[in-house]
Amino acid sequence: MSEPEFFSPEWAAAVRDALAAGPTEQDRAGKLPMYWDFFEKVKAGYAASWALGCRGLGATLYVQWGGGTVTDCRVTGPGDGADATYVLGMDYADWQALHDGYDPQRTVMYRKILVEEGNILEFFKGIYFFTECLGVIGKVPAGFRALAAG
Amino acid sequence: MAERKSPTAVLHEGPRALSDQQVRQIEGANLEEVLDVDIDDVIEYVHKDMRSLPDYTTLYRKYLKQRWDVYDLDFSQDKVDWNEKMTEAERNSFLAIASGFHHGERQVEIELPVFMIGAGEEEKLHISAQIEDEARHTVFFDRFYREVVGLQGADIMAILDASFPWVSETFVGPFGLLAYQADEVRRNPYDERARVRYGTTYFLWIEGVLALSVMKVTLSYARWRGFLPAYYTGFTATCRDESRHVQGGMKYLQDAVRKDPSMIKEIHETLRTILILAGVASREVIYEPLGWTQQEVRMLMFQQLGRKLNDVGISLPPDLQAMVGSVQPVLAGG
Repeated sequence: MSEPEFFSPEWAAAVRDALAAGPTEQDRAGKLPMYWDFFEKVKAGYAASWALGCRGLGATLYVQWGGGTVTDCRVTGPGDGADATYVLGMDYADWQALHDGYDPQRTVMYRKILVEEGNILEFFKGIYFFTECLGVIGKVPAGFRALAAG
Repeated sequence: MAERKSPTAVLHEGPRALSDQQVRQIEGANLEEVLDVDIDDVIEYVHKDMRSLPDYTTLYRKYLKQRWDVYDLDFSQDKVDWNEKMTEAERNSFLAIASGFHHGERQVEIELPVFMIGAGEEEKLHISAQIEDEARHTVFFDRFYREVVGLQGADIMAILDASFPWVSETFVGPFGLLAYQADEVRRNPYDERARVRYGTTYFLWIEGVLALSVMKVTLSYARWRGFLPAYYTGFTATCRDESRHVQGGMKYLQDAVRKDPSMIKEIHETLRTILILAGVASREVIYEPLGWTQQEVRMLMFQQLGRKLNDVGISLPPDLQAMVGSVQPVLAGG
């Protein structure tokens, strides 16, 4: 079975399942229980939404959190998702690099993904949760045919 | 190299006064002479003028006298020490701590230029000097990792890639925050509130607390064991550079609060986020091979934060004071 196209409805559904499940045991290994306790605490109380834009593709992945899980996860068109708590953007090539294994921490630190709208100090209170989720999203199988065509 | 005393000796003695001769030695030492300067004295020197902070022109003039050539360092003895004298446990602990600085120097180098846009003219001189300092410190670590640790790579980023596995997951807390705050300043370079939030992360936390703590741990180890003379020389000279950065940064925050007392809220809110993140660790770092315990490193960080806040006259509300008690040692800096 071929993987769903990046930023397709099928891919968004797979992202939703992956985020709800959280990092795998393999991902959790090697990090202190204190770190994961913090992750779970943030996840349990997280009530914000992310509009994760893909520059160059004109699409956004809208993710709403609530009650310790993902309550909405869908691909929207240009301009949609502007009411999200945090609007973020990243180039298509950097999304693909994340998918190919580039580190989520450095994706943030090197400003490949940026908060375009939203309170940065509040966003960073959950940054370990966000970077782990970014890693989860990156590992969801996806086809990057648009880049190949471009 | 400076006297071989226990790494944590001064930690338990507390702050001490520097004689005029010691100050002259620190300020006037050329790169070769820095090997004989005591790192504890340099860290004390950082705080020397904190209560009456020097102006930016004075800091710039100090820079012109104190700048050093990173390519003058000879790492050949360090390579022998690293490969033949240090134990595997010492090397692992050293890398777990120093790698945060390797990446931290790169981060503070590239995030500083945007802060210069909204600065006064004299402050711009100081910031431009600081950018050059940070670039030199980036090269210092690049050379150390290539020539001593033995990492290989075609360019600076390749060496950063190679040392990144030693960097803790919580590094993204302060350094990711700084990157995003720098972007906020880039979009609105004259937004004084955004600049104060940025300055709190950069100058107070990363440089004033994290950086000085890392310097103290690895340099007191090198002094204690009599190892890594070029690392000791270059990183002690780096610490002297940091004294200008911390003093300039504290002056900026102090002036901002004096001009508009409501700015203290921006400092507190930034510290609130930072202290939440600093209460979590993702990896266990073993400090004992370097002569420290986790509790002593934590004590060191408390001391560094407390001294900056007291000297600059920034008080913390009770909830932030309580959060300071939960800080986990995060050894990174820039």
